[in-house]
Amino acid sequence: MSIPSSSPERESSAGVQLECPSSPPGLDADPPSTGSPVLSPDSSSHDAVLSAPAASPADSENLSPDELELLAKLEEQNRLLEADSKSMRSMSGSRRNSGSSLVSSSSASSNLSHLEEDTWILWGRIVNEWEEWRRKKDKLLKELIRKGIPHHFRAIVWQLLGNATDMPVKNQYSELLKMSSPCEKLIRRDIARTYPEHEFFKGQDSLGQEVLFNVMKAYSLVDREVGYCQGSAFIVGLLLMQMPEEEAFCVFVRLMQEYRLRELFKPSMAELGLCIYQFEYLLQEQLPELNIHFRSQSFHTSMYASSWFLTLFLTFLPLPVATRIFDIFMYEGLEIIFRVGLAILQYNQTDLIQLDMEGMSQHFQKVIPHQFDSCPDKLILRAYQVKYNPKRMKKLEKEYTTIKNKEMEEQIEIKRLRTENRLLKQRIETLEKGQVTRAQEAEENYVIKRELAVVRQQCNTASESLEKAQETIRELQQQTYTEQFVNNLQTQLEQSRLREAELLGALKEMQDKVLDLEKRSSCLPDENNMAALQEEVKQMKLRELETLRSFREMQDTVTDLNQRWQHHMSRSTGGGGGHWKESPKKNAMNELQDKLMTVRLREAQAQAELREVKLKALQLDSQNQIHSKLIGRHEQERSALQDRLQMLANQNKALQAQLNEMKRKQAESDCKSKEEVMAVRLREADSMAVMAELRQKIAELEIQKEEGLIKGQLNHSDSRQYISQLRDQIAELKNEVRQLRGQKAAPSSRIGCGGGSTNYQDLRLASPTSAEGDYLSSDDDLLNSPLPATALYPTLSDPCHQSTRLDSEGSTDSEAEERVQTHPDPQQLYGNMCLPFV
Amino acid sequence: METIWLYQFRLIVIGDSTVGKSCLIRRFTEGRFAQVSDPTVGVDFFSRLVEIEPGKRIKLQIWDTAGQERFRSITRAYYRNSVGGLLLFDITNRRSFQNVHNWLEEARSHVQPHSIVFLLVGHKCDLEAQRQVTQHEAEKLAGAYGMRYVETSARDAINVEKAFVDLTREIFELVRSGDIQIQDGWEGVKSGFVPNMVHSSEEVTKGSRQCFC
Repeated sequence: MSIPSSSPERESSAGVQLECPSSPPGLDADPPSTGSPVLSPDSSSHDAVLSAPAASPADSENLSPDELELLAKLEEQNRLLEADSKSMRSMSGSRRNSGSSLVSSSSASSNLSHLEEDTWILWGRIVNEWEEWRRKKDKLLKELIRKGIPHHFRAIVWQLLGNATDMPVKNQYSELLKMSSPCEKLIRRDIARTYPEHEFFKGQDSLGQEVLFNVMKAYSLVDREVGYCQGSAFIVGLLLMQMPEEEAFCVFVRLMQEYRLRELFKPSMAELGLCIYQFEYLLQEQLPELNIHFRSQSFHTSMYASSWFLTLFLTFLPLPVATRIFDIFMYEGLEIIFRVGLAILQYNQTDLIQLDMEGMSQHFQKVIPHQFDSCPDKLILRAYQVKYNPKRMKKLEKEYTTIKNKEMEEQIEIKRLRTENRLLKQRIETLEKGQVTRAQEAEENYVIKRELAVVRQQCNTASESLEKAQETIRELQQQTYTEQFVNNLQTQLEQSRLREAELLGALKEMQDKVLDLEKRSSCLPDENNMAALQEEVKQMKLRELETLRSFREMQDTVTDLNQRWQHHMSRSTGGGGGHWKESPKKNAMNELQDKLMTVRLREAQAQAELREVKLKALQLDSQNQIHSKLIGRHEQERSALQDRLQMLANQNKALQAQLNEMKRKQAESDCKSKEEVMAVRLREADSMAVMAELRQKIAELEIQKEEGLIKGQLNHSDSRQYISQLRDQIAELKNEVRQLRGQKAAPSSRIGCGGGSTNYQDLRLASPTSAEGDYLSSDDDLLNSPLPATALYPTLSDPCHQSTRLDSEGSTDSEAEERVQTHPDPQQLYGNMCLPFV
Repeated sequence: METIWLYQFRLIVIGDSTVGKSCLIRRFTEGRFAQVSDPTVGVDFFSRLVEIEPGKRIKLQIWDTAGQERFRSITRAYYRNSVGGLLLFDITNRRSFQNVHNWLEEARSHVQPHSIVFLLVGHKCDLEAQRQVTQHEAEKLAGAYGMRYVETSARDAINVEKAFVDLTREIFELVRSGDIQIQDGWEGVKSGFVPNMVHSSEEVTKGSRQCFC
């Protein structure tokens, strides 16, 4: 992409072309601006070695004639190229495309110029005699490198510059490739987007991508702390364009170790911050207007400069230009990055100042990268015009580390303060809560006090009555009554209890009896039956009597009959003898008479039997009557028993009532005795409390005594001073708390306030008299005042006064001195006392 | 740059490395998709105008940040002056989704005393076949953090516009309601030149900004 030619500064664009034209030596001494396109591009693709227009004469002074000649030739060639620049085909717009030409070909064309040949010879000599050149011709070497290392020599020269030709780590490389790295995934993702349009790296699985991956992986294994950092692949990619992977790996290891790159790529990236800080300083110093513009647009340095440092312009400028810068970087380190960066800003200052943030961003993204496509020397020349003071940079580094440390401390402090603040807040909350509870407590306290007063009154009246009671008791005791009375009561109680028990027993018995009787009575017949039975008994007796009578009648009849029978028998036998001689008639009649007699007998016998049966029935009847009468009697007995039971129950009730009465009496007496005991105890407690109070008083008095003693001992150090110190500490703490709160609310403004207040305090310290006035003004002031002067002043004036007094009294000088020594010098004292508050 | 805009919002785009932050921003600001782009080293800057309502244009300044963790020392300086943020993860990379929480923590700890309105973006939604994070779980996570969620694809230009415009609208509403205020020394929101429109009344102070992240 061609650069806009509007800027007058750009007319001198010196051409550094990769596809460098052969330069006919005939076209010498052409002024840069008047050159015409004569040269045709060819395929030789090394970086042209060009001399900067202002090769410092100082450098060339120390050189041998040979070398001077060589330099002159180089400059000549450079001029030619510059003259040719306008005709140069514009560089490819993309840095990748242009980069591709770096490795694309190196066919040394047949039409190499003398100068080129000379350059080659020179660089060949340099490489061969490297040690010597490093030692003796360092300045020339520097100069040559600034003009660009020929493409073919880059690989070896970079290795030599980096001192990476013979590294032990090289032997590990193949081993490292076999291992796997934790960063592998990330590396793999970035490989495809590292120089994606460069021939060498184009396409997946291209050789370039593979070796790039290998080197990045190997490094991540060698340096586990850094591992893989985005951006570093561009540097390795550039190395790989020039040299095989093992060499590239070695150079990269060196770059990381020796060129501050390791610090840049470390996980903390602290070095990047430092670089940006240093760069900002240079910007402020050398381009103050632009710096102000950037600031006003809040266009941070890190927005554009981060990649400059991390990829050494490889992602910012087209490869040919960036490679030239890299040449110098290999020799001079990061300084060139600062220089080039500042040169770029300087070159674009006028443009940038007119742009806003978007514009600047666009300018950085689109315009600046291609400004120097055709004239990297101009950029490098400008870079060397930038003032760069290594000492200053060192100083800045120190500054930065202190700032960073401070920041870190502040961060820690802020964290600490935050937690402290939180804790304080919590405390405030709890205190506020505490206040609420305290208020409640106070209220409760008040209520309790009132209650206490009431109780006290009651207590007083109670004690009065108690006294009265005691008096009466005493009176009673005088009559030796009370105890006896109590004893009596107790015995009475016991007796009543016994009686109660007895009664209860009797009651139970009674109840049992009643139950028994009831059972029995239920078996007995009723009263009417009894009467009927008695009736029956009478009737039965009557019947018996009747029966007996009839029985006698029967017996009489029987005897009568028997007599008759015998009479008959005797008559029959008296006529006898002849009985036989009686006629048959007479016999039959006798027989009939006999028969009649037996029938009559039988009849009499049956009647007798009948009578007997009747008698038996009568007897049974009378028995029955007797039974029923018995039943009647039992019935009567039962009713009598029931009456008795009723009576007993009534009696029992009366007894129970009596018992209750007894119980009540007993409780009363119990109560009375308890009350008495309580009263005695109360009196005892009161006296104990009084004792405790007295003891406390004694202890207090002892403490006071000791304090007095201590006071006496410490007559040099005033206790008031101590109090004042304590007050001051309190005040300081309060201030701190206030500041902490303030910082939370508006840190910046409060810091100002805090400063003001400390000044104020200082002022007070300096003039105690004015402080005294303040001290008296308010309580709050007292707390704030760092040193209450009233507390301080008397102690100060005291020794002074004493010593002067002694002097005036005419004591000897030595004595006075002694006094002064024992009472320290007021100034000194003042100083000492001030110390804790400073 | 004389375009009339109502407000200028500063947005920051964060997320793991290679989730497609730069590609998404490029698609939004330049309307094209680059197959490959350099890894962002540090911070890049882009801007675009969006019209959220007819006549109401908002200028978006978009910060593109490096995804690799070690670059956070640089990128964390950009949180403070951002009002909104797109938190990207790659739907085909579960790890990048798991890191969403870390990114929020990082943002939260460096944005104080301000806050950032975040939008969770599941990127590369054109690669449905390789999806490792479901829309549902992403929505759930976004909900848990009080964010909205959208799936985008820079390659197929899916929802790219919507993601930015939705976030812009959300912030605009918060500015209009006074929940977000324009403050001196804070560049998250700036008021632009607006002819014939009184909007200062909308910016009356209404207490400090809330924390949205």
